[in-house]
Amino acid sequence: MPTASRAAGTTTPRPLDRDKLFTARLQAARARPYLASALFALHPVESRQVLTMAVDRYWRCYVSPVFVDRTPVEELAGVWVHEVSHLLRDHHGRGDRVARERGLTGAGERLRMNLAADCEINDDVYGDGLVKPKGVVEPGTFRLPEGQLMEEYLDDIRLGPRMQALAWLDCGSGADGLDREWDLGPDGAHGLSEQERDAVRFRVAQGIKGRPGSAPEGWQRWAEEAFHPPQPWRELLGAAVRSAASGSGAGEDYTYGRPARRSAGVPGVVLPSLRRRPPRVSVVIDTSGSVSDAELGSALLEVAAICSALGGRRDLVTVVPCDADARITHSLCRAEGIPLVGGGGTDLRTGFRAALRAQSPPDVIVVLTDGQTPWPATRPPCRTVVGLFSRPYSDGSWDENDPDYVPDRPPDWARVVEIG
Amino acid sequence: MPTCTPFALPSTLSAPPTDQAHASQLDVAGNLLSLLRTTTTEPRPDTQLEALTLAVAADLPVLLWGEPGIGKTAALTQLAAALDLPLTTVIASVHEPSDFSGLPIVGDDPAEQGVPMAPPDWAVRLVRAGRGLLFLDELSTAPPAVQAALLRLVLERRIGALQLPPGVRIVAAANPRSSAADGWELSPPLANRFVHLQWTHDHEVVVRGLGGTWPRATLPRLAPERLAEAVDFARRAVCGLLAARPKLVHQLPSSESRRGGPWPSPRSWEMTLHLTAFATASGVSRDVLSLLVRGTVGDGPGLELLASLDRLDLPDPEELLADPAGAVLPERGDLRQAVLDGVVAAVRNRPEKSRWDAAWALLVHAVETGAPDLVVVPATTLAALRREDWDVPESIEKLAGVVSLSRRADEAAARAKTARKAAR
Repeated sequence: MPTASRAAGTTTPRPLDRDKLFTARLQAARARPYLASALFALHPVESRQVLTMAVDRYWRCYVSPVFVDRTPVEELAGVWVHEVSHLLRDHHGRGDRVARERGLTGAGERLRMNLAADCEINDDVYGDGLVKPKGVVEPGTFRLPEGQLMEEYLDDIRLGPRMQALAWLDCGSGADGLDREWDLGPDGAHGLSEQERDAVRFRVAQGIKGRPGSAPEGWQRWAEEAFHPPQPWRELLGAAVRSAASGSGAGEDYTYGRPARRSAGVPGVVLPSLRRRPPRVSVVIDTSGSVSDAELGSALLEVAAICSALGGRRDLVTVVPCDADARITHSLCRAEGIPLVGGGGTDLRTGFRAALRAQSPPDVIVVLTDGQTPWPATRPPCRTVVGLFSRPYSDGSWDENDPDYVPDRPPDWARVVEIG
Repeated sequence: MPTCTPFALPSTLSAPPTDQAHASQLDVAGNLLSLLRTTTTEPRPDTQLEALTLAVAADLPVLLWGEPGIGKTAALTQLAAALDLPLTTVIASVHEPSDFSGLPIVGDDPAEQGVPMAPPDWAVRLVRAGRGLLFLDELSTAPPAVQAALLRLVLERRIGALQLPPGVRIVAAANPRSSAADGWELSPPLANRFVHLQWTHDHEVVVRGLGGTWPRATLPRLAPERLAEAVDFARRAVCGLLAARPKLVHQLPSSESRRGGPWPSPRSWEMTLHLTAFATASGVSRDVLSLLVRGTVGDGPGLELLASLDRLDLPDPEELLADPAGAVLPERGDLRQAVLDGVVAAVRNRPEKSRWDAAWALLVHAVETGAPDLVVVPATTLAALRREDWDVPESIEKLAGVVSLSRRADEAAARAKTARKAAR
């Protein structure tokens, strides 16, 4: 646990002051009622090997009697919340995943993970009834912005001479996934099984979601995403476009329209044959003022990459820039020169009409928009995927003539992927 | 011949005819291969294999999601051996749709006799055997028409004109959506018919296995004497939850990221009920049941069911009040507090002096056997339930430590507040 002063080497071992430790837990549970069941689920274990307090992935909390003795109750309460936050936020599991993905090995890397995890927790854990210990690791310690995740901080935290003071910092295997010598391991007493850990985390998340307003924003976001981490939009958009373009009626599939070559060897049997027809994709782009060029560029590149992965020729992908009025369609091989000019209001209905009016109608229409538009009343005769640029603060939709205007959601017949 | 000159063997004596040299080289290679293949096994619990075994035993369509090459086939081999079923593996992506929907055979007089759909040979053999484990691998890399034919096979158990006998169990495997090249995914109605199991490899198992020791899982066995009890428990658990939370009965997945995964509907809840009964009858751990339930109705509803199972396991407040001296409280702090809260709530529902006293005795027992901070809230609530003519029991003095603990926590909170003001 990050407090700056090093554990003093006392000669006579003192017994653990359990009353003080539990008083602190009670204060922590009162200050953070939404974390109470998680705090109570932690099993304290007295340990003389840890310097402060540390957790393992089985929800045991190793406590140094010396540390409890010299730390005021109100600071201990903060430490309880800090340690339980590591476990609730699954820092050990995420640490293991990051280590595997990025090939990070060794104690130094795990220390960086511990520091990054501390940054994720500490920017909103203290205050409001909990005292911030001195020398605590915060994003500011590394001149980094607040409100990011452990994985993001990890990129920016470098171990240098300045970090020497932090080298003793250790929140245990629960914070970074690396087993410590004092860990009791999976077979030790009072550990929580995976299912029990999930159950506790789920209960805390439900409690926060059930009473929004009582928990700070960081915890509310955690509660939303604890069991449904948001998927990257590129994957989702890719899956939606691919499944639309490879569904029946488009792309490669079997057909009985022409017998298979295998038929010659099996007289009397009619076999279907494999035919290939690359899917035609029309990309309708909302060029109104509310969508930025960078957003459009990355989304358009994504669609083009997916289409070429499907084996589609680039000339089969057409682009329809559209604001209130759809201009002519362009083929993607000239994407560099497509004038994405526009601005003002949007009416995507004209974009749909332009896409469908093309000489050979598309198998798939992909719409990239921020959703501030009316939608066609009837389902178009092909599959539709909508890439919706998310607008958390819908200031773009405000209309001074009609302040109550709320744009329609994309219709049910379209697959909608939130972008950004 | 001098033995100390190994390099100077006369060539005329030692060189055998060339074809013999080839044969012996192959023999040596064979020896090397058999050495490489000699591995041992060690017992090791394997939750995902146990979950798969139960789902297959319950005759529910299972879909294994996993990257290629992580040992799905090896697991199926072990499962087939454990269930004593012959294994038939069909790689979906190398077949044509007619291999599953049947090949139309044009006879002499189609108008008179019709055109039969002839099944492939493996299906005929499977039907003749009457039992077996059919593993449909690489479901997601097959073209859409093949997948459509396969889904009919998995869900309706029909291949052409053949109906698979009930002794045949079917397991399918697919690559996750992110790595499936041609974007195969399940529509929500189809996803709802499967038990979804995520198949991952365990780093430790792979390293140890390549070193010569593969795990051997002891697979769950159903206990014949527990069947009735298991059905009763599963019905109580699922119906209890759904009666209290009607919203959980049916929730179509709304967001793009949850498409193609498990979601709750009356159909998948029925599957959950079956799986809970199978898990209970075989006595597997909650971790196995957790995989199965979350793979059937999804994470949220699955976790709620598991939480309500945990509550079913907690001691009944009325029994604790009847015998406070012999009470056994759970060790885990959060569960212990839930039990104590339940006891206080029971006293509130039917306030009587004897019950109030018994609750105090329980709280004292809780303080003596565990963490004192858990008792603060129940004790405060219980004290508020006091009627004017009720005398305070003597045992309450033993809770003095709890009162001072609570006071010290209040003081610390006050100090934290002033420290914050001072910092401003």
